[in-house]
Amino acid sequence: MGDYAVFHQLAWPAGYAVYFFISGISAALFFFSALSWFNEEYKPLRGSAFKLSFALLVLGGVLLVVDLSQPLRFFYTLNPLFWNLRSPLVWGTILLVLFGAVSVGYHLAMARADDKTARLLAVAGSVLALSLPIYSGFDLAVHQHRPVWNTPLMPVLFVALSLVSGAAVASFLAKGDARLLARLRQIMLWTAGAVGVMLVSLLVTTAYGGAGEELTYLLMTSGMLGVVFVGLGGVLGTVAPIALLLAPMGRQAAGLQIAAALLLVGGMALRYAILIGPQIVQIYF
Amino acid sequence: MSESRAATTQTKGTSGKRRYAMVIDLRRCIGCDACMVACKAEFDVPLGVFRTWVPYKVVGTYPNVKKQFLPRLCNHCEDPPCVRACPVEATYQVEDGGFVLQRYDRCIGCKACVAACPYNARFMLPKHRTYTAITRVVDKCTFCHHRVSQGLVPACVQTCIGRARVFGDLNDPNSEVSYLVSHFATQVLRPEQGTKPHVFYIGADRNHTEFGRDVYRRSEGLELDRQSFNRNFKA
Repeated sequence: MGDYAVFHQLAWPAGYAVYFFISGISAALFFFSALSWFNEEYKPLRGSAFKLSFALLVLGGVLLVVDLSQPLRFFYTLNPLFWNLRSPLVWGTILLVLFGAVSVGYHLAMARADDKTARLLAVAGSVLALSLPIYSGFDLAVHQHRPVWNTPLMPVLFVALSLVSGAAVASFLAKGDARLLARLRQIMLWTAGAVGVMLVSLLVTTAYGGAGEELTYLLMTSGMLGVVFVGLGGVLGTVAPIALLLAPMGRQAAGLQIAAALLLVGGMALRYAILIGPQIVQIYF
Repeated sequence: MSESRAATTQTKGTSGKRRYAMVIDLRRCIGCDACMVACKAEFDVPLGVFRTWVPYKVVGTYPNVKKQFLPRLCNHCEDPPCVRACPVEATYQVEDGGFVLQRYDRCIGCKACVAACPYNARFMLPKHRTYTAITRVVDKCTFCHHRVSQGLVPACVQTCIGRARVFGDLNDPNSEVSYLVSHFATQVLRPEQGTKPHVFYIGADRNHTEFGRDVYRRSEGLELDRQSFNRNFKA
């Protein structure tokens, strides 16, 4: 009695989940804008998806910088003399800067109606855009002692989450274009299905893992975090929208947008739970 | 005699270089917390955070119970995940000695090293500090690099009244740590993480050094304490 309890800090709080959410949507929206150069059905998204993608990229960058305890030292990450190339964070910085630069070039090329350059930058930007969720996944996966994070699924799961959240936002930008909505519905269905399969795989392997994994499974499937992960992320944000998209109502604009809204709620909830859950056991070690 | 056992040379680093390590004999630790106090005094470690700390578990069944102490600190790993994780090389490993140290003026406060450490050895220095201007960067135990380079032992070792903590060069065959590591069964924390820690324990029961079920079923008192910590500790 009267003992002083030593507590450890949660390394990465909820702000990172918001960053993952925003950067994932930004990446997917750029990808859809770029697709419009190769598939006419995506043409209504070319300008609007790109603009929102760029705005979210800037917002995500600001969030990252503000989260640093020394925000002004953000510039150190841009100094190649300081780079530690074994750290995924360095690759994230390089990719974010390159993606931002290509986005600006893409905008200028479109403004000048230089279709050839815009098309080239669309391809380059798409590769960089999809590498953002991949790096986010590796950012977590390299932590060898963290259950859930330290799995090869993480980069793939983050790409799927990026596409599903991006397609959900794009459905609100489609302005009722029936052909585009049908395409987006297919993307949402397949990527949400992929997310669901990966979640089941993740849950089963975590539940049958070692002591840390088992405890993390228990923490992520019970209490308030269980409500967020299983309730909001799994049931309301993945299973329900898939069911809705498969139903006749899901083929209409209104039903599709309800499903899209649910997928966005689910996307945020899953990122939050996957970020926070595996850190809880560790802070009590 | 079989040679198949993993040799302790695995943890000795570069040949010809010093490789400092700490051996903590848990049979001698009485849980007086003098090491924590000495460390706090040596480095002006602020309230709420610790470079070294002494958690315990109550083991046994009443009335035959005892407190099992487990002094903790940075393990100055041979393969430190924190050094790998830092994007700007603010944390680095000293080749001669094996110290894992921090460049405060380069740390950007991304907490990647905090997330990477399997031992919770790293923490964010809060805004408030009494005498030292270094704040809002990540800090950790340095094995008292400033003392060791002057031929002294770390402050926690100097003050340990039970001589539970022993410090020295593993690569020196005449050092006390070499003797202890080679003559006693020693344990390291979380060996499965592949970090090759340089804090060795004598008498650590792995049943008490691993995650326990109490992480899932935390007591109400502990949760209230944590909420208070979260409220009052602003990094």
